[in-house]
Amino acid sequence: MEMDSIPNGNSAVSTPAVTTPTNSTHTTPSSKLTQLTESLKLEHQFLRVPFEHYKKTIRANHRTVEKEVSSVISGVNDAADSDMSKDDAFQHLTSLVSRLQGLKRKLEEGSRTENLQAQRCRARLDHLESVDAENLSEWSNTRLKRILVDYMLRMSYYDTGMKLAESSNILDLVDIDVFQEARKVIDALQNREVAPALAWCAENKSRLKKSKSKFEFQLRLQEFIELVRVENNIRAIAYARKYLAPWGATHMKELQRVMATLAFKSHTECATYKVLFEPKQWDYLVDQFKQEFCRLYGMTLEPLLNIYLQAGLCALKTPYCYEDDCTKEDPLSQESFRKLALPLPYSKQHHSKLVCYITKELMDTENPPQVLPNGYVYSTKALEEMAKKNNGTITCPRTGFVCNYSEVVKAYIS
Amino acid sequence: MDLNPIKDAFDHVSKKQKLSSSKAQEMIDQIMQEIEKAVEIIQSGQSGSEFEHKSVLGELNKKLQEISPISQLEGTQKELNIALSKYPKQLEKSFNPDISKAYRNIDFDIHTVNQIIGSHFYRLGLFSIGDCFINEAKEPESTVAMRSMFSEMYLIVEAMKDRNLIPALKWAAANSDKLKENGSDLELKLHRLQFVEILQHGSRGEALTYARTHFAPFAFNHLGEIQKLMACLLWTGKLDRSPYSELLSAANWNTVADELTRQFCNLLGQSFESPLSVTIAAGFQGLPPLLKFMNVMAGKKQEWQSMKQLPVPVELDKEFQFHSIFVCPVSKEQSTDDNPPMLMPCGHVLCKQSINKMSKNSSKTFKCPYCPDNIDATKCTQLYF
Repeated sequence: MEMDSIPNGNSAVSTPAVTTPTNSTHTTPSSKLTQLTESLKLEHQFLRVPFEHYKKTIRANHRTVEKEVSSVISGVNDAADSDMSKDDAFQHLTSLVSRLQGLKRKLEEGSRTENLQAQRCRARLDHLESVDAENLSEWSNTRLKRILVDYMLRMSYYDTGMKLAESSNILDLVDIDVFQEARKVIDALQNREVAPALAWCAENKSRLKKSKSKFEFQLRLQEFIELVRVENNIRAIAYARKYLAPWGATHMKELQRVMATLAFKSHTECATYKVLFEPKQWDYLVDQFKQEFCRLYGMTLEPLLNIYLQAGLCALKTPYCYEDDCTKEDPLSQESFRKLALPLPYSKQHHSKLVCYITKELMDTENPPQVLPNGYVYSTKALEEMAKKNNGTITCPRTGFVCNYSEVVKAYIS
Repeated sequence: MDLNPIKDAFDHVSKKQKLSSSKAQEMIDQIMQEIEKAVEIIQSGQSGSEFEHKSVLGELNKKLQEISPISQLEGTQKELNIALSKYPKQLEKSFNPDISKAYRNIDFDIHTVNQIIGSHFYRLGLFSIGDCFINEAKEPESTVAMRSMFSEMYLIVEAMKDRNLIPALKWAAANSDKLKENGSDLELKLHRLQFVEILQHGSRGEALTYARTHFAPFAFNHLGEIQKLMACLLWTGKLDRSPYSELLSAANWNTVADELTRQFCNLLGQSFESPLSVTIAAGFQGLPPLLKFMNVMAGKKQEWQSMKQLPVPVELDKEFQFHSIFVCPVSKEQSTDDNPPMLMPCGHVLCKQSINKMSKNSSKTFKCPYCPDNIDATKCTQLYF
C-alpha cells in the first residue's frame, strides 16, 4: 500500500482529506503476469527430466545399432578370411541376415519409444504454455497434483502416485516411468542385494564419474562388510583386492577403516567399526542411491513438495500466526503446519498491510481503516454497514465499547 | 513467458533424432541387401565353380568396408549429440536450474507431512486416493477422523448435484443455531432452492404449504426476500417468463453448494481452501524473490540457514494476507507489543519508538513526517488492528 498524502495545511482530523489516487502494488494485471512468469521459471525439472529420459533412450538405441552393425561387418570379414565350405558360408550369411532383421525390429521399437518420449517433452512445453489468467486456478490445482505425484514417487508410495496421476489424467506430466528404473534398484537394496545397483552404476558409468560420485565404492564397501560379517575372510580379501583397491587413490581413509573390520569382526564394540555392521547402512545406501538418481536426471534432491512447502511457510509465517485468535483460513492456524514452520524464519514486509478484523478484507485506499475512540481499527466498509444496521451506533466486537459512527476517525497508514 | 525458442530448440533435437534413426534404418537395409545378394549368388551357384563362394564373400567384405556404415552413422550422430547437449543448456538459461538453492537443510517430519497430504486428499473428496495413501505410507488412523468429517460433506454436495436437497436441509436444520451465529442465511437459501423446485414442478398449493412451514422462522430478518419468493406463486409453472426468472439459474445451486461447503468447513474448524493448496501456492509466489536473493548473496549461505526473519520482503497476493502487519514508515520495523503503532492527532500512524525518538521522550513537540502538523507525543494513542 502506498502512502496517502494529505494536502499541505490540512491538519484537521475531521475534514475528510483528499487522497490522491495511489497505485496499489499488487493485483495489477502486468505484475500478475510477471509473477506468473517468475513461477514458470521454477519449472526446470518439469522439462529436464523427460528430456534426460529421451536422451538416454536415444543413446541406448544408438549403442545397440553400433554394436550389432559392427559385429555383422566383422562377421563378414572373418568369413572372408576363413576357409569356409559353401554350405557353411551360406549358413553364416543367412544367420547374419536374420540378425540384421532382429536389429531392425529392435530399432523400430526403439524409435517408437523415442517418439513417445519426444511427445512427452512436447506435452510439457505445451502445458507450461497453456496457462493464462483464466485457467490459472485449475492449472495451479494440476500443479499441486504434479508435485504430490513427485513426492509419492520419491517416497516410494508408487500405488498412490499412479492412482493420483491416472485419476487426474496427468500421466504425461509426471515421471512415473523414470522412477520405475529406480524402483528396481531400491527394492533390491532393501532386500540387501547390490547387483541391480551395481548394474545401474555400470550403465551410467561415465556420468557418475563426471560428478565424482562414490556411490559404487559405497556399494562395494557394503559387499565387503557382508563378507566379513559371515567371516569369509579369504573371499573378503580377494574382493577387496579386486573391487576396493582401485578406489584407494581417492578414498584411502574409508578403505583403511573398512579393512580394519577384518581384525575387529562383526561383534565388535568399538563404535568406529560397529556402526559399519548396522542394518541402517542399507537405508543409507538407499538414500544415497536416490540422491545419485535425482542428480542424474536433473531433479532437485529434495521432493518438490518440501521445497515449495518451505518457501510458502516462510512467506506466510508471522508472529500473529501463533496467536490463539489466528483465523482458520491461515494454514498456520493448524498444528501440523505450525510444527513444520517452527524452525523457519518469519516473513518480512516493507509495507503495512492491514486486514479488517470484521470483514477479513484488506484495508487500502478504497476501503480505508477507521479508528474507534478506544483505538481499535476496522475497515470503513464494516463500520458503515454496522452503522446502517444500528442507527449509527458502533459496537467494538473485541471490547464491547459502544460509540457513535461520527466519533470514528480515519487513520492514514503508509 | 515466451517458450517458442525452447520449442524450436526441441524441434531441432527431435528432427535430428528422426534423421539419425532413419539413417540407421537405411544403413541396415543396405547391408542386408548386400548380404542377401551374396546369399543368392552362393545359393544359385551359377558358375558352378567350387570356390565361387569364396570370391563372393571377399567381394561382399570389400563392399561393406566401402560402405563403412559405422563412420557414416557417426556423422548424423554427431549432429544429434550437439543438439542433445545444447537443449539442456538452453533450459538452464531460461529457467531457474536449481530451485533448492534457498532450501534450508532441515528435515520435515515425514509423518506430519503425510498427515497434511492425507487430510488434503480427504478434504478434496479424493477418498480412495486418500485411503490408498494412508495405507501405503502406513500412517496411523488419526487422519481417518478427517475422512469421516469430509465424507458427510461430500455426500451432501453430491446429493445437491442430483438436485436432492434433503441431506443438505437436514444438516442445516441440525446446525441452525451455529449458522445463525456465523451470520449465515444458508438455511433460507436452501429452502429457497427447494421452494423454487416445487414451484416449477409441483402445484401452487404444495409450494404455499412449504413456504408456510419453512419461511416463517426467517420472517424477522429476511422479510424482503420472502415477499419476493411469495410473489413467485403468481407465476407457478411459468417462472421462466416472470421477473424472477433468475431464481431458476443453475448457478444458484453452485453458489449455495459453495456456501454450504464454506459453512461446513467453518463448523468443523477447518478452512475453506485446503491449507496445503494455499501454502504451496504461496510457495510458488514466494520462492522467486528468495532465489534471487540467494543468487546475490551466494557467499552468505551459512547465514541463511540460521536467520530468524527472511532477509528480503516477499510480497504475496492479498488472498494470502491473513494478519494485519504494521510497518513503521520511519523505522521500517514491524510493530510489536512493546513497540505498538500509535495514532497521531493528524491521523498519521507511527511506531511508539519512532515517536519517542522524535519527541526526545515526550520532552518536545515534533513535526509529523507526512504533514506540517506539530505533534505532542502525549496526545498520541495506541492502535489495535
